[in-house]
Amino acid sequence: MSPTTVTTKSFADQVRVIPGGEKLNVCFACGTCVSKCMIQQKVEPEYNPRKLIRMAILGMQEEAFRNPTTWLCSACDLCYPACPQEVHISGVIGAVKQLALEAGFTSPIETVSVDESICSGCGICGMACPYQAPSLIETQVNGQTDRIASVDANKCMGCGTCVAACPTGAISRAGVSNQEVKEQLYFAEPANGDPRLLTFICDWCLRADADVQILESYPNNVRVVHIPCSGRIDPEMALLALRSGIDGVLVCGCKPGECHYQRGTLVSSCKIGLLNRIFDQVGVVDGRVRFVQIGTMDRGRIRSEIDSMLDHLTAQKDVQ
Amino acid sequence: MIAKAKAKPKIALYWAASCGGCEITMTELGMDLVAVSEQVEIVFWPCVMDFKYSDVEAMADQEIDVCFFNGAIRTSENERLATLLRQKSKILIAFGACSHTGGIPGLANGYSRESILDVVYNTAPSLDDSAGTVPRLSTNMPEGEITLPSFYEHVKTLAQTVDVDYFMPGCPPVVEQVGAVLNVILEGKLPEPGAVVGVTDKTNCDVCERKAVGKSAVRIKEFKRPHEIIADPDICFLEQGIFCYGPATRAGCGLPCINGNMPCRGCYGPPEGVEDQGAKLLSAIGAIIEIETPEDVERVLDSIVDPVGTYYRFGLSDSILSTLKYGNGKG
Repeated sequence: MSPTTVTTKSFADQVRVIPGGEKLNVCFACGTCVSKCMIQQKVEPEYNPRKLIRMAILGMQEEAFRNPTTWLCSACDLCYPACPQEVHISGVIGAVKQLALEAGFTSPIETVSVDESICSGCGICGMACPYQAPSLIETQVNGQTDRIASVDANKCMGCGTCVAACPTGAISRAGVSNQEVKEQLYFAEPANGDPRLLTFICDWCLRADADVQILESYPNNVRVVHIPCSGRIDPEMALLALRSGIDGVLVCGCKPGECHYQRGTLVSSCKIGLLNRIFDQVGVVDGRVRFVQIGTMDRGRIRSEIDSMLDHLTAQKDVQ
Repeated sequence: MIAKAKAKPKIALYWAASCGGCEITMTELGMDLVAVSEQVEIVFWPCVMDFKYSDVEAMADQEIDVCFFNGAIRTSENERLATLLRQKSKILIAFGACSHTGGIPGLANGYSRESILDVVYNTAPSLDDSAGTVPRLSTNMPEGEITLPSFYEHVKTLAQTVDVDYFMPGCPPVVEQVGAVLNVILEGKLPEPGAVVGVTDKTNCDVCERKAVGKSAVRIKEFKRPHEIIADPDICFLEQGIFCYGPATRAGCGLPCINGNMPCRGCYGPPEGVEDQGAKLLSAIGAIIEIETPEDVERVLDSIVDPVGTYYRFGLSDSILSTLKYGNGKG
């Protein structure tokens, strides 16, 4: 690692003057933040806030800009309450990211894209996004000035909350587009007549490998669909699944305060909560769509949640 | 205004479970209606002209060129006429929100048949006499038996009852679109069957000119019902905390409600590709509420007085909810 020449001292100063970067220097590099971080465990071993802060302090600008830590932090702030020095780590990382963007670097994250021919410019996506990545712009579409959404790829973290919120299907993200999720909704009834359970699982709420293995241990009456965040869930998906004959839908997100994308789990609890009130008012479905919030300390809970749902569905089938 | 057709097409208009607004929109054509009546032969329009069901029964199959059918299917009489007019018509158009998606009558699908009849004939506060008198399918009188159509368990759309060729949404369809669709018919330029006509491709937000001031930063803190607030006529309703169906409603109406400073009510139905307008709207609105704690979620849910009426005002019959409750309408 070679230190950059001109901005050695001023890089740390530049970080400190950006709101969020103020407490850069009080970090004493204990690494508690790293132990809390889901990204290092699940996505990128090179991800390390402790090291990034050191780089910033030492003026290693180029290295900091190229480091995945700068780009992958979603500001979930799981680390913040754990920091003994009360450094708002995501704030510091955000300050480094801002400088990196100003220097011409771009985010490597899989972001959402807008189909201009479908977008009606309602702006729901911008209000839904935890990071205000989409905004409305006036642009030329088929030779006419039209108001449509445009996504700032450097702000988008790819959670898909906007994909679920978009009423026209104009926003999409590779891997979890409406079409790709719909294709996973339907599966055949097992020969033994066991109830079919569709489980949407947020990729962040299962911390331990053992939890992932639990999901793989169920027979073919439990279909698991991985989503980046429970905020990606659209109630229409649950309805389509039930209409196809699936007996129940379980949506798993993170505990409030631990959501990787800040508000996705609250958005989902609002949607599924309201869907259940609608079910009650119409007099259908009866607890067959459920939302659970699994905390980082809740190891093994996924099994009890799935089993409890299967018990409920079996009991309902027996009544019929 | 109205194009000239070579041969005079035979047109039928019928109303099932509806309020009559769709009939009024036809008369709103004004002098154009006179031009239309010279271009076509109206063979059945019980609301306006004197025809009997037996006149339709006497027709040959597919003798009617185009039938505009408004209203939902609520009674056995509605269904009988839907089946009869389907048989006698080359083209059957579900005209208006009620036949398209169930409309306001479709909201009854949140209740049982028995509870509705009980309110209407026994417990409504406006009744000063609850003698338990309820309509019966058959009553013997000295002059002979008199009958009534039966009242179904739930409200169906026209397409849940018979095959439908085109859908023309709206409560009611606006007169400009009625004129446009009549022209398309007279010119013989109807699209592929199954299409929604008298609409545009995008949603109402596309044509709404209200300012979306801070849409990328502002979320809804609380919902206000239209009577609780005097809405700013220039700013997006959602930004003002007023529930607006615009984002999840197909455009085509020309925004008479929004221009009258009332939020969109969703009567034009869902945009292309959306199967359940209420769920889609729920997904959109649920994502733009300012919620920071689980308590906020409960507070927001409690503030929505009538979730079904709020999210499924015109679409309950056509919704997946109704399919789950009553099975697939047809057959």
